This record gives sequence, C-alpha cells and structure tokens, in this order.
Amino acid sequence: MYRGLRFGGSGYGTGKVRLGVLCSRIRLEEKLIFRALEARGVGYDRLDEGHLALRLQAGGLAQEYDLVWCRAISHTRALYALTILEGWGLRMVNSSQVVHTCGDKVLTTLALLRHNVPTLRTVVAFSAEAALEVIEDVGYPVVLKPATGSWGRLLSKVNDRDTAEAVLGHKATLGGPLHSVFYIQEYVDKPGWDIRTLVVGDEVVYAMYRRSAHWITNTARGGEPLLCPLTPEIEELSLAAAQAVGGGILAVDLMETADGRLLVNEVNHTPEFHGAMQAVDVDIAGKMADYVLQMVVIMNCVHHNA
Amino acid sequence: MRVGVLCSRVRVEEKLIFDALRDRGVDAERIDDDTITLGLVEGINGYDVVLVRCLSHARALYASKLLDVSGLPTVNSCDVIATSGDKLLTSLALAKHGVPTPRTRVAFSTRSALEAIEQMGYPVVLKPLNGSWGRLLAKINDRDAAETILEHKHTLGGYLHSIFYIQEYVEKPGRDIRSFVVGGQVIAAIYRHAPHWITNTARGGEATACPITPEIEQISRAAAKAVGGGAVAVDILEALDGRLLVAEVNHTPEFRNSIEPTGVDIAGCIVDYALEVAAMEPGR
Repeated sequence: MYRGLRFGGSGYGTGKVRLGVLCSRIRLEEKLIFRALEARGVGYDRLDEGHLALRLQAGGLAQEYDLVWCRAISHTRALYALTILEGWGLRMVNSSQVVHTCGDKVLTTLALLRHNVPTLRTVVAFSAEAALEVIEDVGYPVVLKPATGSWGRLLSKVNDRDTAEAVLGHKATLGGPLHSVFYIQEYVDKPGWDIRTLVVGDEVVYAMYRRSAHWITNTARGGEPLLCPLTPEIEELSLAAAQAVGGGILAVDLMETADGRLLVNEVNHTPEFHGAMQAVDVDIAGKMADYVLQMVVIMNCVHHNA
Repeated sequence: MRVGVLCSRVRVEEKLIFDALRDRGVDAERIDDDTITLGLVEGINGYDVVLVRCLSHARALYASKLLDVSGLPTVNSCDVIATSGDKLLTSLALAKHGVPTPRTRVAFSTRSALEAIEQMGYPVVLKPLNGSWGRLLAKINDRDAAETILEHKHTLGGYLHSIFYIQEYVEKPGRDIRSFVVGGQVIAAIYRHAPHWITNTARGGEATACPITPEIEQISRAAAKAVGGGAVAVDILEALDGRLLVAEVNHTPEFRNSIEPTGVDIAGCIVDYALEVAAMEPGR
C-alpha cells in the first residue's frame, strides 16, 4: 500500500470507476473538477504530488485506479510522475508524451510543423553568439522564450541589438543550461488580442479572446477574457494542433497576423480555465470530466476485448 | 622585506608584478587563493605586505579582511576592496566626496525599478552590484527591454541581482578614460576606444595613451581618495557637454593593455607603493 498518498477525495463511489487526480495546489479549477466528478458519482483520490514517493519498481496504484488525471502545476514533476505511473500500466490524461511535447516549446513547434499546423517562424540556437547572429539576421523585433515555462514568464520582446545582447547575456550567465537553448521567434504584431481555445478530445469546447494592451496576453498577466465566436477555421486549427501534440485535454493559443492568417503559438497540457469562465458559458470542468470517464470506458472495452 | 602575492591565476599582470619585485631584490611568494585557509585571529606569518590580486571579488574581500584583522597590511586594503568592489558603495562614496558621477537610483523590486526607469527616461543602464569586464551590463532603450531584463535578473539571478542599480546612460564620444591612481598619484591614463557602448578592453576596447590633464588628474585622485586610496583604476566618462563623470573604481585592475600606450611601468609603481605601505606599517 502507498500510505500517505491520499489526501481527501470523494469517499464514495466504491462502485465501478475510480480515479486518481494528481494535484499540487487546489486551485479553483481542481475544486470544479472534484465537484464534477462527485456529481457523476465517480470515486476519486486526490494524489498530492508534493507528498508522492513513487517506487519505480512496483505498481501498487495500478490496481487501484482506472485512470489518473494529471492536474499538477509543475511541468517537471508532472512529467516524471506521469512517466512513472504509466510505467506501472496506468492510463493517464494527458499522457506523458503529450505533457513532454507541450511542456517544451521546441518540441511543440516541431510537432506542429510535422503536422503542417501553421505556426510562427522559429530558430533555435545554442550559444549567445549564434543567437545574436541569427537575431540580427532575422531583424527586430523578435521574441525570446524559455523552452519551458508558463504564464508568460521570462518572455522577451527584443527590439534592438542592445536588448538582444543584454537578454542573451543574462540568460547565459544567470540561467541554468536550459536557458542557453535560445528559442527565437518572429514577433507577430497582434491586434490587441490573441485567441485561446480549449480542446477536449475531438471537441473544441470554447474559444476566447485574451485582450491586452501588453503584447503578453496571458490572463495570468492581466489579459482580459472575452467570448470569441468559434469559426470553422479556429475549430479546425485547434483540433489539428491538439492532434499534433498527441490529443487530450489541451488549451491552444492562436494569434492572428496583420494579413489575417491564424497561427498556432503554443499548446498547454494542464490548462487553467478560471479566466475563461468569465467569458464563456460552458461547464468546462464537466466537459473535461466526461472526457476522462469516456477514456475509462474505452480503455476498459479495449481491456476486455484483449 | 617579504611580499606575498595572493592570486588565483598568474596572469600577465601578476607575472609583471613578480618581475618588478625580483628587480627590486624583494623576496616574493605566490599565495594561491585556491589552497590557502585563514584563521580568524592567527592570519598568516612571514610577510610584510600582501598584494591582493584575486580574480574573485568575494575572495579578495574576505581574504583582505582576514589579513587585516591579523595585522598584516594589504594592497589594496580591505576597505578599498569592499567599497570599490560594490558599485552601489562606490557611488555612495563618490557622492559623499563630491566626485561627479552619473545619476543613479536603486530599487528593490522589479515594479519599483520599472517605475524608476520610466521616470528617468530611456536609455538607462542596469548594472550588477558586483562584476567586472563589463559583464551583465544592460543598456535599456525601451520598456520592453526594461520589463524582460528586470524579470530575468529577479527570476534567474541570486538575491543580489534583485538590488537594481539603475544609472543614466551617458553618451560617450566612442571612448572612455581609465586612469591608474597609485598612492594618491595619477601614474597613467588611457582612452578605451570602442564602437560598442561597453568599452572594457576585455570586451575588445582598444587602448591609446590619454594625456593626464589637470581635470583628469583631479577627478581621478578624488575618486581614488573617495574609496580609500590604494592602487586603483578609475573609469571616467566624458559627457558630450564636456563634464567628466566617474563611472567606477576597480580595486584589482588588469593593466596589460595600458603599459605599451602609456610607456608607464604600472607593475613597478604598484610594487613600489606596496613596499611603501609595508615600510609604513611594519608587519609581523
């Protein structure tokens, strides 16, 4: 048994389906997810990643859960936890492969390109000198992003050579080795907003604008969520982007260029949605819960037929 | 007379210092800052003075402090090293002694730093409090740059990188001045020419002789005095309106590129000064 692993949970649903929900802090999103599971009579345990100690050899949890739903905040922790749990034979939403790809901007961009999803022109360089050269070549402004990271953190809009030198110098000197993988992207002059969609399985649950006077539009950075009509183009691109990274529960960031093209910017593997709730009238947690339960059913069918 | 030279690597400068000591018939010994250990009271014996030439400011600071406590004079003194090794303390010392220096503000959070920068107007220069060779100097030309550099310092740097030292950007005539002040005398000065706003010779700035005008002499001596004297290099900016401003003072200057253009035996001057210090303050 894995003592100390469970922290709360529904305490009922001893019947058919039992889920583990891998969490860090319990944000509004997780509260709504728990509520949605309870409303569906699904038993679940809250697995606190801060308290996890996973034996790599043994798969004790494999028998206890039909599926583990990952809502952990730290990308690194989530990735390792998912990989270990999958090794035990547990089914995960999202899969470790999806988290691996989405958590790394280089891998995301590569996946999008491989699936012909329109995305931004991007260059990767491995030294400050090579990065400066390519930035001068591409021309200003450009955007520098850390390969991993969320909430718009450490994004740099670089408008001139002085800034390029300073940003590259600070990354190379102060950052760890990952910060010397320089991810350099064209700057898309957005019309004061970008679009975030939520893909759950093969459905686009909503689209919203994130309006901001700042070029960083993340709602965590003050971007204002507004309802965005779900056009066929947005729908198609969102599904393609989600498919490209492996599918699941995913938030897709799109931006519109001055000449009206839509580009996929990033795909997020553990979307927050409290911002979206101000703009869209959908039971987001419910949609997610239904998808997760559907995965359990599909998996069990596969299991029984095997 | 026995002189210790506390150093990390023996660069050209340290080699020249050893040569100058030998030329003067002085018994000299290299003390390696990688291997030395120092007690709190006993210090080290057998030297009349120690020349501190560590690469690391932190090592220079604490080693000189420990030697000082044990009564052994050092060049530079621990007070000079403490002040000139920290840009904020240097600015304070310069301001206190009425030495003209660029306008400077200090902030402790990214938000207050951004506010200060917006108030000062662009461009500004952000500098780490410690550091040499022009490393991590940032010329900030707009708000986008300010936001991201402040965030990088705060997120990636240690806590000292969140002491934001913000200075007006002084437009230079393609060069600045570095003068060497040893024992209160200005012994040499060079121009450092560079197309880049960072003129350090370590960053490719080219050195030529600079005549020691009365203005340069006066401001250099005043700057050295402000940080406590010793053997230091003073970095001077020539504002386009003709004013001279002291940007920083260096306690362990490299000088290999300054010898040929000036024809001055800088190592010899430093050694002579160290021997004077030893004679004034007989060691143990």
